[in-house]
Amino acid sequence: MEKMKLKLLYSDLKSDIDIIEQELEKAVNSSSHLINDASLHLLQAGGKRIRPIFVLLGAKFGNYDIEKMKNVAVPLELIHMASLVHDDVIDDSDMRRGRPTVKSQWNNRVAMYTGDFIFARALEYITKLEDPLVHQILARTMVEICNGEVIQIEDKFRLDQGLKDYFRRIKRKTALLISSSCEIGAVAAGVDAKTVSHLKRFGYFVGMSFQIIDDVLDIMATDKELGKPAGSDLLQGNITLPILLLKDDPQMQPYLAKVFAGTLTELERQNMLQYVRKSDAITQANKMSDKYLKKALQEIDALPKHPIKKKLRDIALFMGKRKF
Amino acid sequence: MNATYIQNSIAQLKTEIFMDVRHRTLQKYTGAPVLDENQLFYLLVPFLNGEEWQQEQREAAITVGIVYAALAAHDHIKELDATSKEQQLTVLAGDFYSGRYYEILAMSGNVALIRNLSQGIVSRCEHQIKVYEAKQRTVEQWCSSISNIESGLIAKFFELYALHHYIPIMEKSLLILRLEREWAMYQRGQKSLMSKVLEQSALQTGATFNSVLQDKIARLKTELLQVIAQASFLQSDVKQALQARVDASIASTNG
Repeated sequence: MEKMKLKLLYSDLKSDIDIIEQELEKAVNSSSHLINDASLHLLQAGGKRIRPIFVLLGAKFGNYDIEKMKNVAVPLELIHMASLVHDDVIDDSDMRRGRPTVKSQWNNRVAMYTGDFIFARALEYITKLEDPLVHQILARTMVEICNGEVIQIEDKFRLDQGLKDYFRRIKRKTALLISSSCEIGAVAAGVDAKTVSHLKRFGYFVGMSFQIIDDVLDIMATDKELGKPAGSDLLQGNITLPILLLKDDPQMQPYLAKVFAGTLTELERQNMLQYVRKSDAITQANKMSDKYLKKALQEIDALPKHPIKKKLRDIALFMGKRKF
Repeated sequence: MNATYIQNSIAQLKTEIFMDVRHRTLQKYTGAPVLDENQLFYLLVPFLNGEEWQQEQREAAITVGIVYAALAAHDHIKELDATSKEQQLTVLAGDFYSGRYYEILAMSGNVALIRNLSQGIVSRCEHQIKVYEAKQRTVEQWCSSISNIESGLIAKFFELYALHHYIPIMEKSLLILRLEREWAMYQRGQKSLMSKVLEQSALQTGATFNSVLQDKIARLKTELLQVIAQASFLQSDVKQALQARVDASIASTNG
């Protein structure tokens, strides 16, 4: 149902998205059958293609040419894909989107080479554009994403952290790449600096809202909907917003102690999820997501008049209210 | 140019690479980036031979070194268990170094080298992963993969700066050095994945790992000496240094 809604939202861009999908398949084509299998395995697992969509939407404010923009949209999705392959090694994850991860289907080393391959293909693709600014934005983003992941590992299983730590983490983990997708799409299409700035900020706010919802869904959704056990973030030691809001709750603390000691039973996981789901933390987290969403909508209002503004608003609202 | 000058040049390049990828947390848990001094030496041969070596070439050489460090970090990830903090951060160290090489070249607008190095990484990954593929390959095919893994990125750098004539010497030398390392490890009972597949291919032809590798190294050495002797573009002291590098490796391997 949710996926249908998303498809409907993208309907105006369908032919361009089809081009991106075809191009993604071409991009991961390799002389190594193992890399081919692993990459296609990833592509076929799907995904919302949020980053390429935002590249295209950002570019709509300038000289939009899909033949040029695909060389920006494809690498942004590839970079996201490559980072997921490496993240699964870091998190020791066996399942993603209901399918075995590359590292579980093959091994960690195959996952490393596949990720490096996809990452390099992304850069090979984007060098079809000569504009140094495009490369500077993307390169800085990639370095910052890594810095964010390093911080995430340092913050694992640490309860002495505050909201500032959490927001700093999700900014780098998610919001930056979405923000850069909007920005790079616009820069590549020759959009004026003021509009680029609004699009960049729009992407940032949407990205923050999106990640908060993602963290809420990790608790609210079922194992089946997630394609992995609900509460996986916490089980891996990642303290997300709902957990952070409950860290001092006396009823939550015994669960946290067991999670950190690695002794949480399946029944206790279910009970813990029930407790968090019914708590005020979910409402508070949703409110914080809404706050970012509102800011994103304000950035849309500040953009010059353009028919694509409605599409940006619809997609932002969908992302902020999604249920998968 | 003497051995000290060469060593200082390598040390300086190393320092510059370290400076460009320094990261407090990564260094604390994963140590300094892994750099192969032989690769750095061959990267610097055109400079040592007096080729044009402005800021652009210098920066380009640094980024080639960073890419090798990125890929070397990922070579250290264990196949089945990468759950320790050190392993997790090694994954990120590789990604961080990759981001940094891209950032450095993006800042100076060297899009052509970003493109060349990306192509080189694509090709290297395709060769690296072959050890996990079931397909039977010949010793020659494995040597071709090793050559790409060891020297492909330096070749991409040389191609961009019209230094093609250095490629055959660099490729042969780095292949010899890697095969000697594999041979020495094998003698100590430490079989890498590459030596295992080389051994399988040797056995398919009724030969042994030792005989195949020694023959190959001997042939490559003869070819290398010929190429060096015929390389009129090389200064005599550079020729000597090239010869000494391979001899030194043989001595350390035997020792």
